[in-house]
Amino acid sequence: MTAADPAPMSRGDRRRSLVRLGRAYARNRAGVAAACLLLATVGAAVAAPLFVGAADLSAVHAPGAPLRPPSARFPLGTDGYGRSMLAVTVWGARISLAVGLLATVVSVGIGALVGICAGHFRGWTETVLMRVTDWFLVLPTLVLAAALASVLPPGTATVVVAIGVTSWATTARLVRAQTLTVEARPYIERARALGGDHWHVTTRHVLPNVAPLVLAQTTLTVSGAILAESTLAFLGLGDPTAVSWGTTLQLARQVGAVSAGDWWVLLPPGLAIAGVCLAFTVCGRALEAVLNPRLAGRR
Amino acid sequence: MSPDRSVNRRAAAGPRRWLALAAACAALAVPTVAATRPAPARAASRTLTIATNGSVDSLSPFLAQRALPTYIHRLVYDFLTNYDAHDFHPVPAMATAWSTSADKLVWTFTIRDGMTWSDGQPVTADDVAWTYRLMMTNRDAATANGNFVANFRSVTAPDPRTVVVTLNQPQATMLALDVPVVPRHVWESHVADIGTFNNDTRFPVVGDGPFILSGYAKNQYIELTANPTYWRGRPAFDRLVFKYYKDSDAAVEALRKGEVDFVDHLTPAQYDALRTARHTTLNRSPGKSFYALAVNPGATTTSGQAFGDGNPALHDQRVRQAIMHAIDTGALVRRTLGGYGEAGGGYLPPIFTANHWRPDASAAYAYDPDRANRLLDAAGYHRGADGRRTTPDGRPLTLRLLGQTQRPADAQNATYVAEWLKAVGIEVTTRIVDQGMLGDIETAGNYDLAFDSWITNPDPDYVLSIQTCGARPATAGATFPGDDFICDPDYDALYARQIAEYDPAARAAIVRQMQQRLYADAYIDVLYYPDILEAYRSDRIAGMDRQPQPRGMYSGQDGYWSWWSAKPGKRSASPTGPAVLAGGVAALVILGVGGGLVVARRRRAAADDRE
Repeated sequence: MTAADPAPMSRGDRRRSLVRLGRAYARNRAGVAAACLLLATVGAAVAAPLFVGAADLSAVHAPGAPLRPPSARFPLGTDGYGRSMLAVTVWGARISLAVGLLATVVSVGIGALVGICAGHFRGWTETVLMRVTDWFLVLPTLVLAAALASVLPPGTATVVVAIGVTSWATTARLVRAQTLTVEARPYIERARALGGDHWHVTTRHVLPNVAPLVLAQTTLTVSGAILAESTLAFLGLGDPTAVSWGTTLQLARQVGAVSAGDWWVLLPPGLAIAGVCLAFTVCGRALEAVLNPRLAGRR
Repeated sequence: MSPDRSVNRRAAAGPRRWLALAAACAALAVPTVAATRPAPARAASRTLTIATNGSVDSLSPFLAQRALPTYIHRLVYDFLTNYDAHDFHPVPAMATAWSTSADKLVWTFTIRDGMTWSDGQPVTADDVAWTYRLMMTNRDAATANGNFVANFRSVTAPDPRTVVVTLNQPQATMLALDVPVVPRHVWESHVADIGTFNNDTRFPVVGDGPFILSGYAKNQYIELTANPTYWRGRPAFDRLVFKYYKDSDAAVEALRKGEVDFVDHLTPAQYDALRTARHTTLNRSPGKSFYALAVNPGATTTSGQAFGDGNPALHDQRVRQAIMHAIDTGALVRRTLGGYGEAGGGYLPPIFTANHWRPDASAAYAYDPDRANRLLDAAGYHRGADGRRTTPDGRPLTLRLLGQTQRPADAQNATYVAEWLKAVGIEVTTRIVDQGMLGDIETAGNYDLAFDSWITNPDPDYVLSIQTCGARPATAGATFPGDDFICDPDYDALYARQIAEYDPAARAAIVRQMQQRLYADAYIDVLYYPDILEAYRSDRIAGMDRQPQPRGMYSGQDGYWSWWSAKPGKRSASPTGPAVLAGGVAALVILGVGGGLVVARRRRAAADDRE
């Protein structure tokens, strides 16, 4: 069995290759640091209800006076309602991360499906799918997402859909290219000759070979999706009553915190967005390097 | 009174955002685009620069409906009457005197002698009669101000100093005709294309106001120059420039740097931040607008046909009153407005002292959750085990609350109102949507509660008329001139009486009675009247007249008092030339593009797009 002609892996092979992948990733120090940061953020978001109560997020019964600078009681100051910026920022991670991840699932899901179909079926299917992809590729994603978000009923689900259905084109292109190289391998021909139908070939042979690429693409897409969520929320197109990093920035702008120079309302959500997006990107790059040894030398 | 004077300036952007984008691109490509305009030598010219985020739909007095252009028209054209700077009562302008016939149907105005247009031609009664008659006979010319002349039977000018208006019905608003009078000899050639002529092809525009419209670039600036022959006296400043800033933070920054001399519509945080700025004078004035929570009374057409899906629980006056008792309007003023405003009561804001009405302490909907709970219990909406109330047939009592993204206070107030209503057992789902979508949802009658704001005029007729039965749509789902589908025959009877009452005091008494009626109905709950917060450079402007006085506003006056009376300060000879102006505006427009990524849709204007 040559490297260019891998047979489908057994379960044991798969576990071994995962372990190998993990070891290779662990050698990338930036990747590990970014992964730790992400785990900490996700941990804080999941555990937020344990130390942030409904009273901390209540606008009417806000614990402090609005727009107060950091103090012993509020380490990061208070927002426009008088809520602790620390509590708001931690709670905001929940929606920002959830929307970012869900939108990525939608985006990568559509992208992988379109890419595999186009690469597998070729012909007319490919032409039509790729022209649609090109169309989504040239449209400015944010404008399209903003258009969708303002037409659909507002809410978190809408934002997920708006980001998801507008950002899949790159993934589709990448997956199609990978599908074409996989389908060119002789064992695919063998599988066809043995009577494998479209479903068998795409799910048992193409998908496993495309999966690593999809995984790397996912981590890269997440940061884009989180940024898009914050941007839409900042433009007032999300649900402004939900607490997310974008709406926190939007509220800060609406109450004039920018002119007033109230940096403590702007910095925590801003840095959180920047930090998490950076971490996802670093993770994605590290994963890419591990999966594609040709990239390992360059950085 | 026209469906325009009241435009919430933030709300007026609409499709123009795309133009802002285009303008930004153009400015990037050709940085000196506006510098090609001839720049007259004005080494010592005294310029007053005012930041604005208002948009211009047209500069034609027959077409303009938005706040900024209608305000500009107040500066460049004279009107029959003006509003006093002290207390808003109608004062002579073009008309020096007026009288009415015994049957109240014939009004005779005496036109001021010796007025001239800026091209030297005399201003005559014929100009007035011609302008009014054009609006009566030409549909396009009636676009902006047709409602003022809808009740006119005829307008004649028997001699150059006399205008006679004959009415079909008595009309108490005859001294509040906010109609710019245009020069017949200039506009006669534009009758054919009156519906499309925007009055922006040839500058300076011939006018007879204290200023002359001398330049305009879309979404960049409007330039006015002093009219040296104005009958009340020449303004002290040579030029007045309204400079466009999409973002209020950018405008505040420009004031700090001295790029603009006057900024209005400040947020409380911006106002407080400017306290420490050098050479800056702050001004806080009671506002002319109210901010309300409108309750869907069950949408109906003028023929009484019901439509929409408003919650039937709101048909019960006790439920509506419970909602009012559950909301702490004082807290909204303290928190959303930072204390810069007054808690709501009557429909018309207290700045118009003669017409303002406030409820007795005993009848007022004070913040009282216990009372709200008792009212809801009495109405048959009982609390379940989880604290939520259910309708008599067992379904949860849930109300939908609507707000619009263009009005910043809505998101904050929605958060507060939802929490207060939840505290008395009413679940609230909040939707903050684009202005156009809000208009669509309201037109369809598919809402329960909605935030609503209007800027009112010295004459209350228009803002009262939008709550009458006749202001409802003729067919289900059609656009309509009204506000909230309210139909109260008692209110309508009072409305008919006030329009026919020519004695100001007697009319004000009826107007107050109408507000009492609206308050008891509890369909529209005025939450607060926001203050107007402004700031200006004291090194550029030595002083201006407020309206009203002593506590009043400089910008958005009903009249031209502030800019006409403005005295230059020590450093008023500003070097701001067109090139600098274009560069600054281009940079700001580029900044604003980030906020412009909103779909341009033109549908029924949301409520506060009109007045």
